[in-house]
Amino acid sequence: MHGYEIANAIQRTSDDVLQVEEGSLYPALQRMLIKGWVRAHWGVTPGNRRARYYQLTAAGRTQLEVELSQFERVIGAITRVIQMA
Amino acid sequence: MGWLSELGRRLWMLWHGRQFDADLEEEIRLHLELREQDQMQAGLPPTEARHRALRQFGNEMSLREKSHMEWGWQWLEHLLQDVNYGLRAMLRSPGITLVALLSLALGIGANTAIFSLIDAVMLRSLPVKEPARLVLVGDGSDCCVSDYFPNQILYSYPFYREMQKKNQVFSDFAAVFSMMSRVHGSVEGRTEAEPLNVQLVSGTYFSTLGVQAYAGRTLTDEDDRIPDGNPVAVVSYRWWTRSLARDPSVLNRKVKIGSTIYTIVGVGPQEFFGTKVGESPDLWISLSMQKELPPYFDGYGNNLIESLYLIGRLKSAVNMTEATANANLVYQQILHGFPDAPLNQENLEKLKATRIELTRMATGLSELRTHFSEPLKILLVIVALVLLIACANIANLLLARSTARARELAVRQALGAGRARLIRQLLTESLVLALAGGAMGLAFEAGASHLLLRLASIGADPLALDVSMNARLFFFALGVTVVTALLFGTIPAFCATKVQLTESLKEGRGITGAGAKSSLARSLVVTQIAFSMLLLVGAGLFLHSLVNLTSVDAGFNREHVLRLQTDATSLGYKEGVRLTQLYQQVEERVRALPGVRAASYSLFTFNEGSWNNPVSVEGYVSADSHRDVHHNVVGIDYFAVMGIPLSAGRGFRPQDTATSPKVAVISETMARTMFPPGSPVGHRYSRGSDKDIEVIGVVGDVKVNSLQEAPQPVDYYPYPQQAQMLNDFEVRYSGSLDAVISAVRKGIHDVDPHLPISNVTTLNEQVGRSIADQRLVAQLSTFFGLLAVFLSCIGIYGVMSYVVTKRTNEIGIRMALGAQRTGVLWIVLREILMLAATGVAIGVPIALAADRLVSNMLFGLKPGDPITLVCATSVLLVVATIAGYLPARRASRVDPIVALRYE
Repeated sequence: MHGYEIANAIQRTSDDVLQVEEGSLYPALQRMLIKGWVRAHWGVTPGNRRARYYQLTAAGRTQLEVELSQFERVIGAITRVIQMA
Repeated sequence: MGWLSELGRRLWMLWHGRQFDADLEEEIRLHLELREQDQMQAGLPPTEARHRALRQFGNEMSLREKSHMEWGWQWLEHLLQDVNYGLRAMLRSPGITLVALLSLALGIGANTAIFSLIDAVMLRSLPVKEPARLVLVGDGSDCCVSDYFPNQILYSYPFYREMQKKNQVFSDFAAVFSMMSRVHGSVEGRTEAEPLNVQLVSGTYFSTLGVQAYAGRTLTDEDDRIPDGNPVAVVSYRWWTRSLARDPSVLNRKVKIGSTIYTIVGVGPQEFFGTKVGESPDLWISLSMQKELPPYFDGYGNNLIESLYLIGRLKSAVNMTEATANANLVYQQILHGFPDAPLNQENLEKLKATRIELTRMATGLSELRTHFSEPLKILLVIVALVLLIACANIANLLLARSTARARELAVRQALGAGRARLIRQLLTESLVLALAGGAMGLAFEAGASHLLLRLASIGADPLALDVSMNARLFFFALGVTVVTALLFGTIPAFCATKVQLTESLKEGRGITGAGAKSSLARSLVVTQIAFSMLLLVGAGLFLHSLVNLTSVDAGFNREHVLRLQTDATSLGYKEGVRLTQLYQQVEERVRALPGVRAASYSLFTFNEGSWNNPVSVEGYVSADSHRDVHHNVVGIDYFAVMGIPLSAGRGFRPQDTATSPKVAVISETMARTMFPPGSPVGHRYSRGSDKDIEVIGVVGDVKVNSLQEAPQPVDYYPYPQQAQMLNDFEVRYSGSLDAVISAVRKGIHDVDPHLPISNVTTLNEQVGRSIADQRLVAQLSTFFGLLAVFLSCIGIYGVMSYVVTKRTNEIGIRMALGAQRTGVLWIVLREILMLAATGVAIGVPIALAADRLVSNMLFGLKPGDPITLVCATSVLLVVATIAGYLPARRASRVDPIVALRYE
């Protein structure tokens, strides 16, 4: 996916709940590039425009799992706290 | 390895920075356009669609910057910007930059040059295996050949062999002759003899040091077993290069010295110069050959002729305390065990009380160190002070410039530059300046260190020291440069950025902080003057001391004496009648030359070491009887050549021959302190096995080894009666030195065309060399003292110009109110004199304190020498006034109308 698609995907999948400043996607992508979590290459969009496509690397997938499990722990904890209330 | 590939990606980005920025820009543009299209498809009008796309995206510029910064290179980009800016700032004021650069180059160069000598003489380890484990038995404080018992500095060859066997603390053990033999020899196939420096060493020398041959082999213990049996030599890389032009078949070449032909078996490594810093032997020959090598020492089998330094390599588990204990144990055993040891009651007690010490010799042996350690340290302090003065100057220049740049800096701060960022920029500019100065300094250093080496040479040959650039020197220079940049850059940077914005941005010259700045500048100038005072007093003391030294009465007349050395021993002459005849023929031939008044051979002239031991006068014992007497062996004309006055009796005559009764001439001190009252002429004394020496005359006292020494007992023997190799030949001449030199050379070669002549110089020059260390310090401290004063003058001039410019309004008002020009001149001059006087007042006590530290370098002076203090003070005050006069005159020429209108 290229940057615009990613932004759209986030918006769509979250049913427009997550509406961040779209541009802040780009520094985040740079950060992930440095860490080696994503790979980028230039391709062509269906509309025949040049675009940079990002792809998750193996390291990125591992990192994702780490982050997800951490996230789930936090969410789980929050949920439990809220349910108790 | 994650961080490594991450670094790789970051570097990739750094290298392709432009491409990255362009990619990002394109990516974002695509994003915005696609969003705009989507919005239009959703039915929005084009303008609205565009605006909404932009709004949704956020601040494009700042996001792009943020993405760029993610890569973490902005520090480098800022640094490059600052360096670039610094370079441009330097070029903008070329005058200031030039002055700053020159003083920095001189300061850093001088520091590095002095340090290069310190490094070579005192710090650098020998280029051998694990130099830290090498120790010297004894402290190496004496040299040459001795028969003193019990000796704790020099050792005999049998002692070396015994200690090698008996000790339990050294893994390897070697001996090296305590002096280098300066002989002449010829490479086989050549007729011309060349000077050769030969170092006699034990066969274990190279293996103990862990030095491998560059070509061929080194000496082995086998080479050192049979006396006179194995004439082989290892040559130095330098000599191989110089004399054999790196002949690849060097191992087939032979060298003839005296009557022996040595086979070259190896070439030493390039960096190896032996174990004595400042010397560089051409050949290493085993100690077993000493009797065949001029001057034909005969100590190989003698238990009691001590001439060797012993070097051990500590076993890995042994520390110095254990080694010292064991060495002492073995020492006592060996000396008690020699069957011929003179173990009378007195010597037994002496031996019992004798403790030998071990000295670490990682940095090698060196006489230079004793001569030059202190002078070099003093010089390093001097050049460091000069550099500080230069720093103060540059700080002042930067302060002045920061005032000129006050508005620029204020504008930058107003636009949001942080103070830390500005300070960093200013410091970077200083660093750029310092690095440029440092680079120039290194270029300057290369020349300066060789000049220093020549100035510091005590002997005829320049010191064999490697002062070329190395890593330690480079880091020293770099360190000095960075410290310098911080010293001169920090204060101006802090002051310059401490700006009240509104004030600075307003028009007009009333810039706040100027008062604080000029008082800071003033204190810098006071510091400069105080340091200059210190340096001037130092220079004055060293100069005065040098003058005292050169005017010392040496007891001989050093003018108009040519001296040279001939090396008859290398031609195979041995002690005996033939040699005596050679000396007589040369003397006779030279004496007959026009322009020659007298000519004589001698064992020594001045500062060439000595042959000394006690004598006993028949039937008389005095408090001074045990004193060592310095012996000299001379020709008939010696006293005439040297201009030593005869005060009683007679000098030597041709009738004093090998068969006639033994005679001696003694010095006044010897006559006064060791003989019964009355004339000593006719008394007899003995020296060791030489009995019945009759005193036939008394001559004036002379200095033997240094101009500083107290009068010494000296006696002289005629050479026909003393079997000795004499190399020194002296000629008292009149007229032109050059003409006499060539005539004498020819005269000597008339007698023997092959007799090698070396070290041609004058007695005056020889005396001068004996105070090379004092001369070096005096010359350099004077040079740097004057340089310091000059730099301080620039400082005074700069600061006063600045002050005068600042005070133009005030002066204008004063003059408008009726002040006279001379009055104004005086106002400014008074301030200068105040600054100078304050500096001097601070400098004097420091100088007096520092005085005490160098007092043992001074001759014939009390600390706090008043003449020096008065001279230094007046020089500083006068020079300061001159430096300040120009700005003061400019102040007095201020036109009140112009000054007032300016506001």
